[in-house]
Amino acid sequence: MDEAVRVEGLWKRFGEQIAVSGIDLVLPAGKFIGLVGPNGAGKTTTLSMVTGLLRPDQGSVHVVGHDVWRDPAEVKARIGVLPEGLRLFERLSGRELLEYTGRLRGLPGEEVDKRATQLLDVLDLAGSQHKLVVDYSTGMRKKIGLASALLHNPEVLFLDEPFEGVDPVSAQTIRVVLERYTASGATVVFSSHVMELVESLCDWVAVMAAGRIRAQGTLEEVRGDATSLQDAFLELVGAGGLQDGSSLDWLGGGAR
Amino acid sequence: MSTTTPVKPTAPPNTTAALTPVMVRLKLSLLRNGLRQSAGRRAAYIASMVFSLLFAALQLLGLLLLRGHEHAATVVVLLTAVLALGWAVMPLFFPSGDETLDPTRLVMLPLRAKPLVGALLAASLVGIGPLFTLCLVLGSVIAVAHGAAAVVVGVFAGVLTILVCVALARAVAAANTRLLTSRKGRDLAVLSGLIIAVGAQVVNFGAQRLGRAGGLEPLEPYADVVRWIPPASSIAAVDSAGDGAYPVALAQLALSALALGALLWWWQRSLTRLMTMPDGSTLAAAEQSADKERSTGLSRLLPAGRTGTAMERTLRYVWRDPKTKAAWVTSLAIGLIVPVFNALQGTGSVYFACFAAGMLGTQMYNQFGQDTSAFWMVAMTISSPRDAYLELRARALALLVVTLPYAALVTLLTTGMIGDWGALPETFGLSFALLGAMLATGAWASASYAYSIPQEGHKNVAPGQAGLAWISIFGGMLAAAVICAPLLALTIWMHLSGAHDWLWLLLPIGTAYGWLVTLGGLRLAAPRTANRLPEILAAVSKG
Repeated sequence: MDEAVRVEGLWKRFGEQIAVSGIDLVLPAGKFIGLVGPNGAGKTTTLSMVTGLLRPDQGSVHVVGHDVWRDPAEVKARIGVLPEGLRLFERLSGRELLEYTGRLRGLPGEEVDKRATQLLDVLDLAGSQHKLVVDYSTGMRKKIGLASALLHNPEVLFLDEPFEGVDPVSAQTIRVVLERYTASGATVVFSSHVMELVESLCDWVAVMAAGRIRAQGTLEEVRGDATSLQDAFLELVGAGGLQDGSSLDWLGGGAR
Repeated sequence: MSTTTPVKPTAPPNTTAALTPVMVRLKLSLLRNGLRQSAGRRAAYIASMVFSLLFAALQLLGLLLLRGHEHAATVVVLLTAVLALGWAVMPLFFPSGDETLDPTRLVMLPLRAKPLVGALLAASLVGIGPLFTLCLVLGSVIAVAHGAAAVVVGVFAGVLTILVCVALARAVAAANTRLLTSRKGRDLAVLSGLIIAVGAQVVNFGAQRLGRAGGLEPLEPYADVVRWIPPASSIAAVDSAGDGAYPVALAQLALSALALGALLWWWQRSLTRLMTMPDGSTLAAAEQSADKERSTGLSRLLPAGRTGTAMERTLRYVWRDPKTKAAWVTSLAIGLIVPVFNALQGTGSVYFACFAAGMLGTQMYNQFGQDTSAFWMVAMTISSPRDAYLELRARALALLVVTLPYAALVTLLTTGMIGDWGALPETFGLSFALLGAMLATGAWASASYAYSIPQEGHKNVAPGQAGLAWISIFGGMLAAAVICAPLLALTIWMHLSGAHDWLWLLLPIGTAYGWLVTLGGLRLAAPRTANRLPEILAAVSKG
């Protein structure tokens, strides 16, 4: 199995709070990989450290065989990133943003323009390409962010909550683009807390909770005997269902 | 069980007479509710009321004392014009000042625009602002009303002036509601503080000039024009009537009445449009890209690769990002105002021209903070000190594209006004050296002491990072001064030792010195930037 990402003993602490506590993770290349977990599980922190945007307190990260912190040149050229909670250069138009990113990545100008035109078309942004990104909706922002992450044709794509706040039409567009991309042998790593989405998209899953990896493997392995990934996940993170009848029994029909 | 007859909604009050008491009561309730806040805010509310009334009373007293003064009419006419200007711009800068000013709050009510305009106008006459205006207008009329005819005209003029002022504020607010609630409006609000700051400089300078002139005569020509501009024209009518020029008085009064009519018509039209059309957010979403702004013109002139790309982005941000724009305009304005105004007042020196270079040099500081958290996009493409060097150099070059010609222009202008052409070469030399030192220390400070710039509001430093910003700017400026010290020492030495024939040498020396210092600063800052990317990103992501 070719490895896309290898994480060993990764730690990150913010003051008193431990965000990521010594995780080990091996993600295979050429797969659609989901990193799932509840809010605050450490998904964003992990992805930030893996992509070189956040310095870990301890541990090592290798992406396609290169150390992220010792050999950033090799890694940064091979990965695409769509972070969550960070801005884009919003005072550029969609097309200008792609032109800017592509040229900073060192692609020749004509190639950038050609790829940008195609990406804008496929992602249904051609009509708004001259609008400033600051005036884009959430879905449009995610799509233009995805386009700038794909522009240099990376080997591994890291997406933090790419479907969060995105309308169904845009979500479907993003999905189609990502499926086409992985079909050609590239790797996608994305985080989400929507289990149905992960279950329908991914063939490899890592489950995270409270800063630790609770399970990792193919979808079937992680799901095990449970009927759905949702159930398996709830069991893994130890959040059972609501106890029946004990509370909120006044809620709903019947006596007011 | 008792059955209650359902309350039938009566017809909405759709005449001005029926609506007026409702609106006035609403306004009174809002004023009263200003008192129902926490103790501190109530105290501030009352204090501001007392202060403005006291100020109005003093103005009234001053205007009464002005009666009989030869320039009374000039002062009064100009004062009215300034007052009207204040009313016009108030709603743009403080859109939340008066809630009844916001017509979008009335959109859901079944009201027609015409009666609404009358009722809203009546309601706007209630409040501290109108009371303040009444004091001023009363004083103005009394100051210039000589004779029975003038008093009669004065009554009409006073009422007209207040109505025009109030209608002006309302009409401007209604016409710009869409702007004020849109992104462009929020961008404008960021710039508004700046306009006030620069405006204050100009007013301050004007007042000083007037004080030096020792009289009000210089104002006469302005007053001659303003006396035909409503609502100042109605106050001028009182003066004209006092002089016996009744046709002129009537014409001036009619002009103000006409203006009132036009304003009310404009206001009503804006109201109708606001109440019948979708709001700004809906329109913005539906709007298709109208501007076919192709991004070729600028990039064709810039070098290829990271240098040109980063330069283009930096220059675009100077124009498009309100925070960056505000900082740039401030630097440009102060860099010009200080040397030129000092030269105008005769207190200047050619060396003040270095101010332009120094002020613009501060734009190199906190480069990555200006990117906000979008810095990650840059960080993802920097994988060696070489990349960081190119990035920093591109930003310095973008700055120089504007700064070099501007500093040169200010230097030429200042030298020309003072007439000391002999000092031109050394001033240029010192300017360029200072600019180089600012760029060098700015690059270093950007890498070492980055901080966030909040995008909304007037703050320029994120909470908790004031210390960082302080070190970055003042430490950097101090360092820049130290770096410039050898050249300064050389200049002083040449002056003292009488080597005046060789002073021109300071131009090539200063230029070369500035250039070398810039290169050195960039070389030092580059590895630091490349090594601290995650730390810089964390520091600039707090806003």
